[in-house]
Amino acid sequence: MGSITTEAKVGLFILIGMLLLGYMTMQVGQRGVGIKKGYNVDVVFDNVAGLNKYSSVQIAGVEVGRVEDILLKDGKALVRLRITPSVTLEKDVSAAIKTRGVLGDKYIEITPGTRGMAALEPGEQIRNVERQADIDRLLNQISAIADDVKTVSGTLSNVLGGQAGQDSIGGLLENMQALTRNINSLVVSNEATIRSMLLNAQELTNNLNRVVVQNDDKVGEVIENLRGASREMEKTFASFSQIADEVNRGEGTIGQLMKDNTTITNLNKTLASLQEVSDKINQGKGTLGKLVNDEETVNNLNQSLSGINRYVTKAEQFRTFLGYRGEYLWDKSNFKSYLDIKIQPKQDQFYLLGLVSDPRGRLTVRDYTPTGNVTTRTEEWDKSGLLFNVQIGKRFRNVVLRGGILESTGGFGMDYMALNDRLKLTFEAFDFSSDRNAHLKGYADVQLFKYLYLTGGWDDFISNRGNSSGFVGFSIRFEDDDLKYLLTSTPIPK
Amino acid sequence: MIKLVDVHKSYGKQKVLDGLNLAIEAGKTTVIIGRSGGGKSVLLKHIIGLIKPDSGHVLIEESDITRLSEKDLNEVRKKFGMLFQEAALFDSMTVGENVAFPLREQTKLKDQEIRQIVADRLRAVGLSGVEEKMPSELSGGMRKRVGLARAIALHPRIVLFDEPTTGLDPVMTEAINQLIMDTQKNFNLTCVVISHDIQSIFRIGHKIAMLYEGRIIEYGTPEEIRASDNPVMRQFLSGSVDGPIKVT
Amino acid sequence: MKPFSASLDYVGRTVMHYVEEMGRIMTLFFSILFWMMRPPLKARNIFKQMEFVGVKSIFVVVLTGLFTGMVMTLQGYHGFRLFGAETMVGSTVALGMTRELGPVLTSLMVTARAGSAMAAELGTMRVTEQIDALYVMAANPIKHLIVPRVIASVLMVPLLTVVANFVGIAGSYFVGVNLLNINEGDFINNIYKMLELNDIYSGLVKAAFFGLVLSVVGCYKGFNTTGGAEGVGRATTQAVVISSITILVSDYFLTAIMF
Ligand SMILES: Nc1ncnc2c1ncn2[C@@H]1O[C@H](COP(=O)(O)OP(=O)(O)OP(=O)(O)O)[C@@H](O)[C@H]1O
Ligand SMILES: [Mg+2]
Repeated sequence: MGSITTEAKVGLFILIGMLLLGYMTMQVGQRGVGIKKGYNVDVVFDNVAGLNKYSSVQIAGVEVGRVEDILLKDGKALVRLRITPSVTLEKDVSAAIKTRGVLGDKYIEITPGTRGMAALEPGEQIRNVERQADIDRLLNQISAIADDVKTVSGTLSNVLGGQAGQDSIGGLLENMQALTRNINSLVVSNEATIRSMLLNAQELTNNLNRVVVQNDDKVGEVIENLRGASREMEKTFASFSQIADEVNRGEGTIGQLMKDNTTITNLNKTLASLQEVSDKINQGKGTLGKLVNDEETVNNLNQSLSGINRYVTKAEQFRTFLGYRGEYLWDKSNFKSYLDIKIQPKQDQFYLLGLVSDPRGRLTVRDYTPTGNVTTRTEEWDKSGLLFNVQIGKRFRNVVLRGGILESTGGFGMDYMALNDRLKLTFEAFDFSSDRNAHLKGYADVQLFKYLYLTGGWDDFISNRGNSSGFVGFSIRFEDDDLKYLLTSTPIPK
Repeated sequence: MIKLVDVHKSYGKQKVLDGLNLAIEAGKTTVIIGRSGGGKSVLLKHIIGLIKPDSGHVLIEESDITRLSEKDLNEVRKKFGMLFQEAALFDSMTVGENVAFPLREQTKLKDQEIRQIVADRLRAVGLSGVEEKMPSELSGGMRKRVGLARAIALHPRIVLFDEPTTGLDPVMTEAINQLIMDTQKNFNLTCVVISHDIQSIFRIGHKIAMLYEGRIIEYGTPEEIRASDNPVMRQFLSGSVDGPIKVT
Repeated sequence: MKPFSASLDYVGRTVMHYVEEMGRIMTLFFSILFWMMRPPLKARNIFKQMEFVGVKSIFVVVLTGLFTGMVMTLQGYHGFRLFGAETMVGSTVALGMTRELGPVLTSLMVTARAGSAMAAELGTMRVTEQIDALYVMAANPIKHLIVPRVIASVLMVPLLTVVANFVGIAGSYFVGVNLLNINEGDFINNIYKMLELNDIYSGLVKAAFFGLVLSVVGCYKGFNTTGGAEGVGRATTQAVVISSITILVSDYFLTAIMF
């Protein structure tokens, strides 16, 4: 043991420690954060109660990613997903929050979109979100309807039981037959319209299908209700066939009804006018027609929609930050404090308003020339006064340029952001007076925790007044949502 | 060169230095004597800025070190070497590392050269070959000599010795006195020596100062001191129990 | 009225004393930062301290971690079994170790071993004038004595925490799977499921902070020792008490910030 040097022992220990740490993090990392690689996709939910950071993201039960972050955005939950690089999501995928296990762990289920559709780009948002609450309501309504249907069909079968009922039904059927014939001709003459209608219906059923698949239990309930209803219907149909037989045999009122042309003429007339209306709509006649066919309306609609869009994104982009910064100037054994509000109306642009308390105060030099021409120069240190910061800044990728009033004098600054904005290197220059060197300042901020930054640098480093001093300190910066809403909901003059 | 002006220092109610004035000449050896507990070590620490006076000034080559920042004081201290009363060797380092310490800190000499100087200084204090020992393995007198070797390792311009010969045998005492005198002469050093050893005082001192009740009551050449008729001085030199200096 | 105002005075002075002490520790902390950035730092000094704080503490830390993991498993097992959730024991221990017990117990052990030694060593150097000797040789004692100790502690305590976490979980595995016959797959899978990288990392950040606390407090107490051997003893005791309390209290706030 004696021959092993201190350095070797320490080195060995560090090696072992790092290996253990590496082993543990790799073990945990495999399932913990899971995917270091991969791309981000956002999705907004009304409510993500129970969903956690690193919750699973699945397609058909296969894990394809993890929840990277959950943020509050305009009162909704913005969930940032990290998806394995090998998985592509179509633009029309939809996302839903599901529950699994006894403990009720939440995860995100993604339903694949249409094959061959363009893929979501990294950073894009999944537009289709199944909103749990709405579907609950929908399903409740459906089952209520099914109940209604059951009652109606029950009554119907009762009604149809009697002879009088059978008779009237017979007549009804006659009319229907004629009607179908007419409808047929209508269909033939409006093939295109019908086809598009059918396509819409198909889409609707697709959507419904998806809803149904994802709400198995509830759907089961509904189907149970429907089954009850259909049993009643069966009875009804039995009565129908009985009537039909009678009609075939030419018995009762039905024979007469069939011969009666007036009924059919009436029906035909009705159908003709229906056709007329739909033609008119097509040709843009009548109010409704105009509305539907008018280019201008469409444009207006589009415009107002994009207007709303713009407003919404503006509110989303608008951010405000509050910050405090303390610097311990060790050559002066003093504390310099900064308090500021950063208003960021756009991603890459901001305004900075702040107060600075500088224990060194500010030097003001006054030249005073009385009637004689001897100039007296007075220098005053204003120790109590606060200094102001009013700056406007713009960000170009990693570089932020800003300028305006720095510590109550004109100046500018430059920040270089690195490591995902966790490291900020700053250079500032201000106070360009002719009788002294400009105030130059350089420092670095490192993010320690969410809101806490460690800072260190050199203040006034070319000072010729002995103000040069290194400093260390900390700063606290956080986003203030209340302030933001206050600012965006108050009308801003354009 | 070194000037103490109206220096006051109290610990609690006890006035240790009470308006002390003393001028120490450059390139000479000044010996400070005084009764045990009289404040000699405290005085020495004022000269090198380890203790700040309650009031008064300490001037080292015209700069008042009571007013200096720690940084500037450090620059002044680079002119100094000091032997502490209890040697104050770094007990986590070997003897060799102790003597090499000021060389490592203040010069850019190579290891080989440093080792050479260390061996040289240790030989001068009669301790050749103890480089690898730890201070705790040395006797009190040996420690003191290592401390001496460390104090003069750099040949600083001013050296402060707090009782360099206390606890040494007569032969060693003479050897150390010789060493102090030689180095002082060869490098034209300014030396301040605290000593209780009457023989040594007269042997090495160009000037002798007597500290009594917080002030310098006598200051002069050895001859002047020997001829002094100050009763305190007389009692001190004769070592009598009777006189103005009370033992109790 | 007299005793009343006297006691008020006492309270006031005691509070002021602590506030002043806090201020002095902060001042020391800033000068440590200052000297840390003044090269050259002697690598050898730092390595020596790393050996003392780190390597020589491995044994106590391993023992502490191991038995903590084992005891927690044993205790947790009986509780969890009531709900038939004994497979959760491992993950509970793993979370507890990485987040709280690993860093806290490790730094308490290091405080007792190394923090106290720092106070004693620096205290002895103070009362035997070795610190004065450093000043005399124009060598700043903060840079020479304190900076290496602080650097070593901030680096080594997290590393020791890693060791404690690992043996703690290993001990839990041994007791749980080998002695209590908990299903191995479930035991391990639950650890994987519950434990996240952040738990480990935030525990290490805590440990680094505690390393800072125990070394700065230990050095502060030692550096400002007065009153001979007795003073050294007092400095040592106070260093351990203040460090331990600070570690436990700041752990609460760190947890509140991090999780
Ligand atoms: N740090 C301190 N706190 C309180 N009192 C002190 C302190 N340092 C010295 N003193 C007091 O100051 C007086 C002078 O002490 P000093 O060490 O200067 O004596 P000295 O003249 O060197 O004595 P000796 O010849 O025995 O070394 C002593 O009475 C001592 O009690
Ligand atoms: Mg003394």
